[in-house]
Amino acid sequence: MRIGVYVCHCGLNIAGVLEPSSLTEFAKTLPDVEVARDLQFTCSDTGQETIKEDIVEHKLDSVVVAACSPRLHEPTFRRVISEAGLNPFMLEMANIREQCSWVHMDEPPQAQEKAKDLIRMAVAKAALLNPLQGETMPVSRGVLIVGGGVAGIQAALDLADSGLHVYLVERKPTIGGYMALLTDVFPTNDCSICVLAPKMTDVYNHPLITLMTYAEILNIEGSVGRFTVSGVKKARFVDEKLCKGCINECAGVCPVEVPDEYEFGLGKRKAIYMPIPQSVPLIACVDPEACIGCGLCSEACPVDAVKYDQRQEEFRFDVGAIIVATGWQSFDPARKEEYGYGRFRDVITGLQVERLLNAAGPTGGEVVRPSTGEVAKSVAFLQCVGSRDETVGNQYCSRVCCMYALKNAPLIKEKYPDAEVSIHYIDLRAGGEGYEEFYMRAQRLGVNFIRGRVSEVEKVDGHLRVNYEDTLLGGFRSKPYDLVVLSAGLEANKEADVIGNLLGLSKRPDRFFEIAHPKMRPVEAHIDGVFIAGCASGPKEIQVSIAQGEAAAAKSMRLLLRGELTLDPVVAMVDTEKCIGCKLCVETCPSKAISVDKTALVDEAACKGCGTCAAACPVDAIDMRLFSDEQILAQVRAATAVKGQYPFIVGFLCNWCSYAGADLAGTSRIQYPTNMRAIRVMCAGRVDPAFVIEALKGGADGVLISGCRLGECHYSKGNYQAYQRVQVLRGVLEKVGINPGRVKIVWCAASEGEILAKEVRTFVRELKEMGPVGTELRVLGVPEPPGGDR
Amino acid sequence: MTEKTTMATATAEGEVFREKVLALAGEVVLTCIQCGTCSASCPTAHMMDTPIRKLVKLVLEGEKEAALLSRSIWLCTSCLLCTVRCPRNIRPMAVVAALKSIYEDEGMKCKDSVFEGIFARQIRNYGRISEVLLSAEYMIRSPSSAVQIMSFGAELVPKGKIELGFEAAKGERIEGTEEMKRIFDLVGDEKRAEAEKAEAVGEAEEATK
Repeated sequence: MRIGVYVCHCGLNIAGVLEPSSLTEFAKTLPDVEVARDLQFTCSDTGQETIKEDIVEHKLDSVVVAACSPRLHEPTFRRVISEAGLNPFMLEMANIREQCSWVHMDEPPQAQEKAKDLIRMAVAKAALLNPLQGETMPVSRGVLIVGGGVAGIQAALDLADSGLHVYLVERKPTIGGYMALLTDVFPTNDCSICVLAPKMTDVYNHPLITLMTYAEILNIEGSVGRFTVSGVKKARFVDEKLCKGCINECAGVCPVEVPDEYEFGLGKRKAIYMPIPQSVPLIACVDPEACIGCGLCSEACPVDAVKYDQRQEEFRFDVGAIIVATGWQSFDPARKEEYGYGRFRDVITGLQVERLLNAAGPTGGEVVRPSTGEVAKSVAFLQCVGSRDETVGNQYCSRVCCMYALKNAPLIKEKYPDAEVSIHYIDLRAGGEGYEEFYMRAQRLGVNFIRGRVSEVEKVDGHLRVNYEDTLLGGFRSKPYDLVVLSAGLEANKEADVIGNLLGLSKRPDRFFEIAHPKMRPVEAHIDGVFIAGCASGPKEIQVSIAQGEAAAAKSMRLLLRGELTLDPVVAMVDTEKCIGCKLCVETCPSKAISVDKTALVDEAACKGCGTCAAACPVDAIDMRLFSDEQILAQVRAATAVKGQYPFIVGFLCNWCSYAGADLAGTSRIQYPTNMRAIRVMCAGRVDPAFVIEALKGGADGVLISGCRLGECHYSKGNYQAYQRVQVLRGVLEKVGINPGRVKIVWCAASEGEILAKEVRTFVRELKEMGPVGTELRVLGVPEPPGGDR
Repeated sequence: MTEKTTMATATAEGEVFREKVLALAGEVVLTCIQCGTCSASCPTAHMMDTPIRKLVKLVLEGEKEAALLSRSIWLCTSCLLCTVRCPRNIRPMAVVAALKSIYEDEGMKCKDSVFEGIFARQIRNYGRISEVLLSAEYMIRSPSSAVQIMSFGAELVPKGKIELGFEAAKGERIEGTEEMKRIFDLVGDEKRAEAEKAEAVGEAEEATK
């Protein structure tokens, strides 16, 4: 191996604290180093040209750049060496700016020693680098969208318009979702179906959308770029090609009536039915549970479309990406027994009042008391039913209930100006463009706002009474109403569990699907090629669901439009000779990228390269590219080769948070002790206990492992696994008589340079109290000195 | 709980009361968000039984009796801090003014309203206050409460805060008491005020021509 080392002055940024020329002389003494130079600005054109010339002239195999953070210029230097004919992965950087000269400005001699160690470590790794090639793979240009609500519809239209083929699979006989059933929608009071129906029709007519309604997905195999989806279209018992959608002919003669689920039980439908007048597709459907097989509809149908012998049809297709837009389900308000839903007919839900207000609803738009059929003269809206309520397991705010009550209360008030309409609330949340104005409009229309959560709804002398504490006026009140509307919250759709399980999606404690990052990656799932849009990942307004549908569509286009996928070569590799098929790695993998058939098999398209599996493997059969056991162990040995400082710490920093946090400490010039030699790993979960033991064996006084804050891991759960491993390892160390406090795991976000610096300071102090590694062994039998963190 | 529970039926009377206040203080009062800026800004809030925030809520819920019987409405100094600071541009002071006016209309009476009546009438007639006359009349009209503040009055005399003697008892007048009276007549009669204003403007225009 012939290595070139380039030490950067970075003006005075590095040279102001360190001596690049003596670092260069030091580098020349290291094994395999063919050439070493210090350069004013390595990233400048002159610097780049020097490296390129050296690669050709000295026939270099790999290059070490000792300069700034690899998070800044690794892409630059990879490009430089590839322009000179080297494989771009034959590069290693020593971070002597952000993690050395900028954070040890007051201790140049110690910083110089640290820089030497960092260069020695980089050279050690550079000697073991292998050329890597990101494989390209053709991808399917199809996208599966699960769920035909507004988010799914929007995603389908955007994707199809971009030229990708869309398979839109909906469980119900029509698309449209909940939005198709609402009356006017906030904050503009547009008629919901009027703005949605054109989009539904567009979906039906688009040549690149295959619409499958009344269908279920039974299996999904494969990974990003090449999923295979299969399922069934249930029998409607109506020929789709023949049915003209006239519905009156068949439903008119049907003798069976059942509660209409599309009216939320307020109306009735026949056994042969059209879900909603604007159904897409406009095809009747026979409810096999209700149908008595009398044959009247079949006789009545003018085109003989009713087919009692229809069977379900299987389907199977390939897609490159999947958008999960499975939506939500209503909280069942009968669970709040004190509110009387299901006991008192005049206690209804927010969705039911949407139907009552809807001109196409069961009452033609009249808001009546279900018990008498008379128009309600006083209406109460009870907020937070099933939301912000731990007794029903829902800690979260459902986000839309305030706004829908603020919409429906004025709609009632406008229709019946004499009606008394009150909203009983805990907090009113009207955050959104035009929302506060919308709230003010409701106030001006004379809607009463009463602060205090209702304790119970009772029936006294045939009249509903609502009991509450008026927390603004003080005192307990009891108020009679004709109609009580429960603003039931939104819950995760239980029927989406099948899809979640097939794809291996993770869920939050609130049971909604978890997105890859709660802030920065709003529509991505943890699984590559899978996106989540709309209420599947939590309650959302229509406009946000639409935005998410669009975002998920854009993400799918980015993935598939080029027709091929370049895979990141930094993935796990399995040594099939060593593998014992124990499946520990399968459980560990956060990306569901490993399967076991006698031995483990890594799906390189799905693997994200965190390396948790490699650390978990009990027989070391899994190794990582670019972060192999051999390479990291070489770094550890190089770090501890000259133990120039006491206490001496070897650090393992996760690439995404802690390493970035350490860089931030540098750019913020936060000073901390020079005692740590940091090794970059992709995830704290990559840290194999063997690395830690190697460091201690080499004479390190302590090992610091730093990962993303709990709950914020780039790979979802890697930091938890790291934590578990460290706990086990500490137990083992204690048993052999080594102070377990020498191994420490901390959490540091990319924004927390100060925290990382503080942790190093603290650890140095703790290690000083413990004494050099091995002290405890010499005094074995005597109680341990204090400071052991157990 | 039952014994403490009060009925919160918006009675017809409560409805009428609410509409009256809204007519006087403005429909904008409906947009109150009960933030409490008014109460927290009020310099006499510490003496009030009902903070002004709550007073507004009582009005909106048609709680006529509670609103009118609150002593707060008489403790308001009309400093207008509440009105300047209200984030919804409601004029809480206008609600207080409306309540006072309704109180009078209802023929209700209390020591505070009596005092305010005497005070206002003196301003109307003389353009200023005579402490002696004010105390004397208050003593006659509301003897029990006047006795309560007598010792306080006695403390003020040696300090020269209250002038005694024949001259003082006659009541000093300012110039232009006629205009003062007209202001009083016009307050609460906006139509007439508007008409007079228009007339005045017209006259002024005539004069400039």
